[in-house]
Amino acid sequence: MTDNTALAEQLEQIVGERFLLRRKSDLLVYNSDGLPGYRRMPRLAVFPGNRDEAIRVVRTLAEHGAPYVPRGAGTGLSGGALADDIVLLGMHRLKRVISIDRENLRAVVEPGVVNLTLNRTVAPLGLIYAPDPSSEAACTIGGNVAENAGGPHCLKYGVTLNHILSITAILPDGEIVTLGNPEGETAGYDLRGAFIGSEGCFGVALDVTARLTRKPAAIRTMLADFTSVDDAARVASAIIASGIVPAALEFMDAPTIQVVESSVYAAGYPADAAAVLLIEVDGIAEGVDADRDTVREICLSGGARTVKVAQNDAERTRLWQGRKKAFGAMGRMAPHLVVQDAVIPRTRLAEVLAKIREIAEANRVVVCNVFHAGDGNLHPNIPYNADNPEEAGRVHRAMGEIMRACVAAGGSITGEHGVGLDKIGYIELIFSPDSLGAMCRLREVFDPQRRSNPGKVVPIHSCQEWRATPARRASEHVPGAGVAS
Amino acid sequence: MTAAAAASHPVRDMVMDAAGSGTPLRIAGRSHWMDAGRPVAASRIASLAAHSGVVDYVPGDLTITVRSGTTLREIEQITGAEGQWLPLDPHGSADGTIGATIATGSFGPLAHGFGRARDLMLGVEFVTGDGKIVRGGGRVVKNVAGFDLVRLATGSWGTLGVISEATLRLYSLPARPATLSLSVPDGANALAQRITSILSTPATPFAVEMVDAELAGRIGLPRRPQILIELGGNHAAVEAQRHALSQLGGAHDVGPEVWKQFRDIEDVPPSANGSRPPVVLRISALPTRIAELWMSTHNAIGHMDGAMMHASAGLGIVRCILPAGTPLETIQPLTSAAAGATIVFERLPSHMWPTLSPSVIADRLSQGMSRSFDPHNILNAGIMGPVH
Repeated sequence: MTDNTALAEQLEQIVGERFLLRRKSDLLVYNSDGLPGYRRMPRLAVFPGNRDEAIRVVRTLAEHGAPYVPRGAGTGLSGGALADDIVLLGMHRLKRVISIDRENLRAVVEPGVVNLTLNRTVAPLGLIYAPDPSSEAACTIGGNVAENAGGPHCLKYGVTLNHILSITAILPDGEIVTLGNPEGETAGYDLRGAFIGSEGCFGVALDVTARLTRKPAAIRTMLADFTSVDDAARVASAIIASGIVPAALEFMDAPTIQVVESSVYAAGYPADAAAVLLIEVDGIAEGVDADRDTVREICLSGGARTVKVAQNDAERTRLWQGRKKAFGAMGRMAPHLVVQDAVIPRTRLAEVLAKIREIAEANRVVVCNVFHAGDGNLHPNIPYNADNPEEAGRVHRAMGEIMRACVAAGGSITGEHGVGLDKIGYIELIFSPDSLGAMCRLREVFDPQRRSNPGKVVPIHSCQEWRATPARRASEHVPGAGVAS
Repeated sequence: MTAAAAASHPVRDMVMDAAGSGTPLRIAGRSHWMDAGRPVAASRIASLAAHSGVVDYVPGDLTITVRSGTTLREIEQITGAEGQWLPLDPHGSADGTIGATIATGSFGPLAHGFGRARDLMLGVEFVTGDGKIVRGGGRVVKNVAGFDLVRLATGSWGTLGVISEATLRLYSLPARPATLSLSVPDGANALAQRITSILSTPATPFAVEMVDAELAGRIGLPRRPQILIELGGNHAAVEAQRHALSQLGGAHDVGPEVWKQFRDIEDVPPSANGSRPPVVLRISALPTRIAELWMSTHNAIGHMDGAMMHASAGLGIVRCILPAGTPLETIQPLTSAAAGATIVFERLPSHMWPTLSPSVIADRLSQGMSRSFDPHNILNAGIMGPVH
């Protein structure tokens, strides 16, 4: 990076003194994201307040050749929004809902709009923005786009990729481009698709046109409880195989149920169950009633003790609260938490869950499984004390073994959290050098100097050319190594 | 490089051979629709027709991995035997290949309910212009690992790589499919109101496709404009949707075979290549403009013998199929009538391309993609526009 002081002064002139942080004490709060094990200290943090400021900030960074890390609300769970001695570019102040087009089911928003805010804005119109990450009360649409965020209801409605029509982005060199088309039709390469999920490595969004969805006419939410994890896993597969596409199909195991029920988020889950499935079907009322009955039958014939159906919105909200706040509830078990995001073929759920149990026992760790069973998107969580090196070592080993078991089952290393720093050491398990090289080529078209979120997603050694960046060489990161820091 | 990666790969061998001799390739599936896209400067046809078959199909996972030369019909038969389907119905019969469908980003009426190829793709393997075998995505239904080569390849017309394999998301076949026809009222306002009414019912149709009188007649329906609605789901859901739509008046059941006939209208057997191609264009705008677009397009082509049009009301797309030999002077007023909309040309006589649609990859990023993935410019060169 060029002269730090000159850069800071120029940035400060753009955003004002309050929104340019350079003191270590001010920057500390930005040294981690939602996966607190990784700590990286930014050199500067800059928070533009509007579109014009954001453009001027990025162009100033380009003039200085300064690398930077875009950041939304910092709720990411992969260590992706961390700036290691470089500039952190916070976009959360760009939070205008620019327009809502009820008839055409479109919303144009700035990147800092919080996911739930958009949903609350469109709810009175009978509309929803379908992607619903569990952090929806805090995470931003810009962050959703960067990570291609998912959520429980993505089983039926699709992930962020399926709901973004266009993006106005500012590229790392300061050029402003429109990717996709707000009207829906595009010719040429799907650059919008390439940008979504690029984890901030291709630039930052200035505004996003999102597709809205009509709120379903009817929703039925069920909780099925099981005395056997295997039965619950098999039933999850059976529901999908039956042809019903549930709006959501979530799995929680006994340790998760117990910690949720002993917290303020208690949802009325049966505390003695080995596992519960939270299942939602939606659509036209007559159809969902038939689906509800089919699901109930599959659950009961597959070993469920009971299937409770929410009778009203309050009951539905309560059932969901336990699921959405499960990660938070785990804070009661230990001071730190590590969560994984592997995806496996749905038919191998029971087998992989058994393998996870084996790994947990062998490493003497407690795994809380709470995940999107319908997608096969696992979230094994291990609460632990990161200040105990011996325990941390066992946790890291278990996490690595679990990831390898998921890959061996034909899976992927991340379903919705992104690669970031956390999984960069695993990406070579699933992609060949040539495939990773192609990803580098793609990245370099957007960001030839690799200044936007350097050192993330694809290991630098996978790219043919070495170009030094101030960020630490990605290949030096050992999976899970940051967790204990 | 691992031993496995170094092993012979038919598609890579084909590309490497061409790259070595600097031979530009025209990439083909089963050689249907060879006149789609801009003229290609190529001295050799690289056919993927023999590169076909299922690599992996796990019905319980609702995913299938196939080689790119596999036809949509084969996929339909294989998945249908398990009560599943790939809801992707591009125009031109089911004899086209999945590779061509993905490469061209083609879609049909089912895009209303299930999205386009980009939404159904889970993973892809392609061979870049310098012979690298590249995989993006995976075989699971949710995946954000790495940068998105899947979307990059989809709709790239083979110019970034020759697609050799794809993994797709399947759905269960609906227990009870049904197709309804609703009448199209006269006048833009009445039509707009009718479309709004249809889209505002609690029904969640798989497809909502408007067809003009000519097209209706060609698919065995009474020769008048109508709106075809495909429904699916369990018995109760279909009956409830049918009831909701019937309340709008003028609805009646038609057989599901209309959808097959609808696709077959544009079937182009390989032997027909070389004949004069029709002109096919898509006009796209915000869905609220669909009635106005429909009327203006109809006014522009209604007098033309053999011209047909249809529209996906929910997507805001009007598609026109004009007879072979349609002169430029006829197409230009049509594009004027669609002012403010996005026009995508699917098929044009070669001499019309420079005038009507010079390039869709003229921007810096697209040019960079093309140069980066096909450095020798040998893959379908020029089909999306020139690379500078």
